[in-house]
Amino acid sequence: MSQETGQPTVTLTIDGMTITVPKDTLVIEAARQAGVMIPHFCYHPKLAPDANCRMCFVEIEKMPRLQTSCSTKVAEGMVVRTTSPTVQQARKSVLEFILANHPLDCPVCDQGGRCDLQDFSHEYTPPVSRFTELKRVFPKEYFSALIETQMNRCVQCLRCVRYCDQVMDVKALAPQGRGTLTEIKSFGHHELDCEFCGGCVQICPVGAITSRLSMYEFRPWMLKRAETICGYCGDGCEITLQTKENRLIEVNSTLGGGRNNADLCARGFFGYHASTHPDRLTTPLVRKDGHLVEVTWEEALETVAAQVGWVKDEYGPEAIGGLISARCTNEDLYLFQKFMRLVLGTNHLDSSVRYGYMNAIEAFRRVQGLHRWTVTFDDVVAADTLMLIGTNVTETNPITGLKIKEAVKQRGARLITLESLKPVRGTISNIATLATHHLELSPDQFGIGVLGLIKAVFEQGLVDSALEQEAPEYVGALRTKIEAITWDRLLAHSTLTPSMFHAAVRTFEQGARSIVVVGQGVLRSPGGYATMVNIHDVLLLLGRLDRPGCGIAALAEENNEQGAIEMGAVPDLLPGALPVSDPEARRAVAASWGQEPPRTPGLTMMEMIERAKTGHLKALFVVGENPLGSLPPSAGVAEALDRVELLVCQELFLTETAQRAHVVLPACSYAEKDGTCINTEGHTQAVRKAIEPLGESRPDWEIFSALSVLLDSPMEYETAKDLTKEIRNMIPASRVLGPAPLPPRPDREVLRRYILGGYRDDLDGRLTPPPVTKTTGTMTLSFAQSLFHSGKFSTKAKGLLKIQSAGVANLNPQDAERLGVRTGDRIEIRNEGGSAITPVRAWERVPEGVVVFPEHFDQDLRQVMSVTVDPRTGVPYCKLARVSVEKV
Amino acid sequence: MDPGSDGTTKLMASKYEKILLKNMEQPGYTGSLQDYEKAGGYQALRKVLGGIPPDEVIDIVKRSGLRGRGGAGFPTGVKWGFIPKDHPGPRFLCCNADESEPGTFKDRQLMERDPHQVLEGMIITCYAIRASLAYIYIRGEFRLAAKILERAIREARAAGYLGSRILGSELDVQIHVHAGAGAYICGEETALLESLEGKRGLPRFKPPFPATHGLYQKPTVVNNVETLANIPHIIMRGAEWYASIGSPPKSTGTRVFCLSGHVKRPGNYELPMGTTFRELIFEHGGGMRGEKPLKAFIPGGASAPFLTPDHLDVKMDFESVAMAGSMLGSGGVTVMEEGTSMVWAALRLMEFFYHESCGKCTPCREGSSWLVQILQRIWQGEGRMSDLDLLVDLCKNIEGRTVCAFGDAEVAPILSTLRYWRSEYEELIARAEASRSSKKELPVVA
Amino acid sequence: MAGSIFDHLQEEVQDIIGRYPVKRSALLPLLNLAQREEGYVSEEAMKAIAALLDLTPPQVYETVTFYTMFNLKPIGKFHVQVCKSLMCALVGSDDVIEWIREKLGIRVGQTTDDGLFTLSVVECLGSCATGPMMQINDDYYERLTKETVCRILDELKQQGDCPLKSGPFMVPEPTS
Ligand SMILES: Cc1cc2nc3c(=O)[nH]c(=O)nc-3n(C[C@H](O)[C@H](O)[C@H](O)COP(=O)(O)O)c2cc1C
Ligand code: SF4
Ligand code: FES
Repeated sequence: MSQETGQPTVTLTIDGMTITVPKDTLVIEAARQAGVMIPHFCYHPKLAPDANCRMCFVEIEKMPRLQTSCSTKVAEGMVVRTTSPTVQQARKSVLEFILANHPLDCPVCDQGGRCDLQDFSHEYTPPVSRFTELKRVFPKEYFSALIETQMNRCVQCLRCVRYCDQVMDVKALAPQGRGTLTEIKSFGHHELDCEFCGGCVQICPVGAITSRLSMYEFRPWMLKRAETICGYCGDGCEITLQTKENRLIEVNSTLGGGRNNADLCARGFFGYHASTHPDRLTTPLVRKDGHLVEVTWEEALETVAAQVGWVKDEYGPEAIGGLISARCTNEDLYLFQKFMRLVLGTNHLDSSVRYGYMNAIEAFRRVQGLHRWTVTFDDVVAADTLMLIGTNVTETNPITGLKIKEAVKQRGARLITLESLKPVRGTISNIATLATHHLELSPDQFGIGVLGLIKAVFEQGLVDSALEQEAPEYVGALRTKIEAITWDRLLAHSTLTPSMFHAAVRTFEQGARSIVVVGQGVLRSPGGYATMVNIHDVLLLLGRLDRPGCGIAALAEENNEQGAIEMGAVPDLLPGALPVSDPEARRAVAASWGQEPPRTPGLTMMEMIERAKTGHLKALFVVGENPLGSLPPSAGVAEALDRVELLVCQELFLTETAQRAHVVLPACSYAEKDGTCINTEGHTQAVRKAIEPLGESRPDWEIFSALSVLLDSPMEYETAKDLTKEIRNMIPASRVLGPAPLPPRPDREVLRRYILGGYRDDLDGRLTPPPVTKTTGTMTLSFAQSLFHSGKFSTKAKGLLKIQSAGVANLNPQDAERLGVRTGDRIEIRNEGGSAITPVRAWERVPEGVVVFPEHFDQDLRQVMSVTVDPRTGVPYCKLARVSVEKV
Repeated sequence: MDPGSDGTTKLMASKYEKILLKNMEQPGYTGSLQDYEKAGGYQALRKVLGGIPPDEVIDIVKRSGLRGRGGAGFPTGVKWGFIPKDHPGPRFLCCNADESEPGTFKDRQLMERDPHQVLEGMIITCYAIRASLAYIYIRGEFRLAAKILERAIREARAAGYLGSRILGSELDVQIHVHAGAGAYICGEETALLESLEGKRGLPRFKPPFPATHGLYQKPTVVNNVETLANIPHIIMRGAEWYASIGSPPKSTGTRVFCLSGHVKRPGNYELPMGTTFRELIFEHGGGMRGEKPLKAFIPGGASAPFLTPDHLDVKMDFESVAMAGSMLGSGGVTVMEEGTSMVWAALRLMEFFYHESCGKCTPCREGSSWLVQILQRIWQGEGRMSDLDLLVDLCKNIEGRTVCAFGDAEVAPILSTLRYWRSEYEELIARAEASRSSKKELPVVA
Repeated sequence: MAGSIFDHLQEEVQDIIGRYPVKRSALLPLLNLAQREEGYVSEEAMKAIAALLDLTPPQVYETVTFYTMFNLKPIGKFHVQVCKSLMCALVGSDDVIEWIREKLGIRVGQTTDDGLFTLSVVECLGSCATGPMMQINDDYYERLTKETVCRILDELKQQGDCPLKSGPFMVPEPTS
């Protein structure tokens, strides 16, 4: 037994060293811990042992033959030798066998210089080969636009295939044939069709599977590397950006690095070229005679300072607003809100968390008194039961998805999915296929699904007795409300039955460690906030909200939405997510800033747009945000922008919004700057500069800093580090870089307040199923995130465009048949808002009655979206519409 | 050869009592349920259900000394005893009817001629290991045998020998025939399980063994057809009876030896273990088919090292054949007459192994393709003397270094022919080198 | 799956799937069924089976290609497979291959122009005492001579069947 952990251990000898390791450790692992590297190909810590390459042989006393150390577990008193002459001879021989058919084309192989086969051969192989026969030659075949296979180099360790299955649950790779003629293929002679996570490229120990994005562009030793964080989604994967002469060459991820632990998705692995797209803005622009013309930084900044100074003097700080993207670093976000509050004197600032994540944060704050998850990815992996509600998790948060898959596939967790998915297998993983209980819902029905859960909790008598004692009124009020809603009413639009809900909540309740994961399907749909609060009720009723290892994980879309909250880049929260309305909080901030932030409540994004439309908001700073491109025309963004007197955009590209700006300031992408960001589970991580800023572009924070000087309230920082320091001092929770901080526990006081009365004020509204929509349409159109894109930034990445370059309306094959269309045909999507024509694809996993369209390519289709604004959180809902669909 | 006309392939009276082939040798025996019952079939099942507890069945089989007839010769009762007693979930029985070892064709006859004998053995085995689901993994080419087994299963089900509450007892057993699709390796028990799970037939590394982590990772027994066919007889006539046959204590009972090659009467001969090769070949098999004397024989299927006329008096039991440097394996005895090239014979078998290597292990996968090429080269007159050491060296680098025993098997023909007939290789090579050097001396045409 | 080759075989398909506690086990039986129906395993069949068993098409494909009995392309109506392993070779299987090549005018791996016969050589079929032998579709033909080979091919061509195929196997045959 180990003293510290109580875990059983085993003591053994490896090459004369005595070492104690946990029971069930593999010999190869134990050796590594003893500092002995045993050469291997097929072994990989992420994969179940397969022992196929026979490279990792060791001698073990009392065992007759050489043993593969990758598949042999340690035993008490075992004596292992890893370098005896027999072992060395066996290694040589395995390499001789592998090299027999290997083309020895290292000079034209991108793996050269970091190839296991090369390294081991260097160590063990004699210079002359005894193989004089004909080498087996596989003809070259087209594999895919992004990934190249060179099967003559393959050592048949099957790491790629095993990874694709065991980790990704994708199963797109097929070893075809048998014996020495085995080749890795996809399906028949078809091009690879998969998630393009790049895992096979990364896990291949040789050069058999390589990326075509960087083919022949480098030798590994020429590359400079920067450990940084992927800028695409809230999962916050650690990546290594490899560069050569200020060009981005490739992305890697390392075992043991970051929350993703070597796993990535297509965006992370193939999406890096967006940063260096030729359309990047590289010089400041100022509008002169109606045209944006290139100017010097000096002129641009002076123009901005003069104009905003004038607006402030003329109309007061209340006439100025700002919007920032949650893809910016903490440093950018922090300095932006400081700039708005301190230099310009207004709380009218908002960020892209307003598109949905804010619903989660507001519900967290209200019920649990915190603004973070109470669980981590590790808790997700260790959970007994997991419930997903409207997550579309593979597409939106692929790594969270992997943690869920790990929990289910490797640890036997039970999964309940309330998703708008049919559990049909394909070569893009489908989380619903792993579910023990799958409740298929239309994308506008997640709120109803949660009401069904509440109803089922009561009907199954699963209400936590302690809660019933502590807050009988709360329980009673919920019971009365929910009993008044009939199942007929709830399930009018689905094929689900009450017993499915009963079974789901029973299963969920059986887990001691149970977690609910909530996604954009909830957070960005009408009633998102209410549903989020209702989900809290479900966990409260089951007694699971305040238990260790239990909780609600709401998924952030953009990579630093959590950072935007913590930095105070929203109107009513200061850094540390302290309320602006709290005088004590303002005083605390003043202690650092030397001045109190304004106390007047700020406007949310939609309020600012409204205010601009009526001519009351005169100047708008837009940083990395593109409301004109993101919101549908019915939101009136164009009208609003037409009326503002000063529109300043800090941008990478000349977006729809930037095209209307008076001044455009070229900003740096994440690849060109230092800083920190916080992922969806609340983990603070370092963003590191990989290349020098393109052209004259500058980090956003630097621009705010420069403007502050011109505006006579200097906020001067030498480097991003100085800002990081200031942030750390202000926000204790973000002090830690590295392992995830212990997640916070719900604030008992706040919880009590909620169950003893706080729940009441909106109970009627929350526990009422939304009225059946009256509009004409026949189908529900849902703008959803695609796995291959993230916002519109990724549509500048050439790699991702090779996978998906345009939007296609996805329909269930039965609907397609009914409409008389087949994949590749075109349909018209229409409602009172407008219409657009798009190609279709019949896809089995889309539920009947639903059209799924990737939001990144939504331009024309946005006309059919109307906007409703959440009354409590100001979140604009514009991702769902009832439409009619016709073949054209 | 015109078999049948001279009567040489007809069955001769045997001096030994037959166990497994007894029924089918009765005139008019069709293998139907009726015939089987008439011959005393399913009495053993009635007997165990009548009051022999499962553990006692296992004990009887242990005491009988029955060892696996699939190749490895593992004691059957001991294997059954490895099934965890307290395992809560399902357990399975798989009957290994993949019979693909070149030189082996006994299981085919047992299944096509007396299918109920196999089924009864399986049902009793299920009872002993407390399995209620069993599969017969039969090689895909055996279409006829599969059909016959399926019909027998229907008959047995209708008669209450299969299904739920068998013969009114608590016993439930379902048996399904599962056809493979062309892969020798699926006879290896863990590859068989993978294949039965609908995957590529790649062997699993052991441990864990099928007894604890078998089909669907559940406790599983894999037994050969012939092994299972013995069970009813052991139950009916007792462990001691069985243990007294053959060469006790280690090789008990009879075996169905498959005799093929250059003999007068090739075929299946059920003989007590310990009978000599000489007796099999020259008495039962009628001796060499032509004038030429015996040159070599394979004693236990393609995986067994070749033996020479000097070994004719070796007894056909596990220990004696092992002592002689080969193995009894699957019981396939292939006889080759003088004049057969041993290089050619080794090449033919090597081609088989190259074709059938599943490709999982580097040494077996790459080694088989390398070995076959060297042999082809030597056979086609392009050998080099250094090839012989290379062959031995490569074989040594495969042997004992692979996941399954296929790796050991594939080197057997080469190593054994090189051991006894190295001169044949050398002659071929010498001739090749001579012709090469004479070619070299040809004047170069400008 | 609508429009799949299994449409008219629903019962058989469900019966097969029902034999196994884990669906994937039905893969080989269903592939065998598909080949029985179409003469080979088409991509459509692989996709249909994938859908039936909750697998991806590559998972079906990798399995199909491991086993030599599955044809990925259409072949002749009669698949003539001659065993060439050592035991049959000792008793003349090379001659059998020659005879068939002569008779049909095709090389190993080819199909006759009339689409009737495809010739393959295969490894041991478990008939070593009754060689030389061949398998044509489901049936074994053993102890082949030049005459019987010709007769078998002729009769198959003319009548689609030949009585020389083996019945239940027993060698040596019992004296009656
Ligand atoms: C390459 C290889 C092929 C095998 N083929 C067969 C076979 O066709 N039939 C068989 O019964 N056993 C075969 N075996 C042996 C099985 O692995 C296993 O030992 C046997 O089925 C166990 O049954 P038994 O104990 O009744 O013999 C083979 C083993 C190896 C290594
Ligand atoms: S020894 Fe050969 S046949 Fe056996 S698992 Fe390894 S590669 Fe496959
Ligand atoms: S690493 Fe152990 S066999 Fe490949």
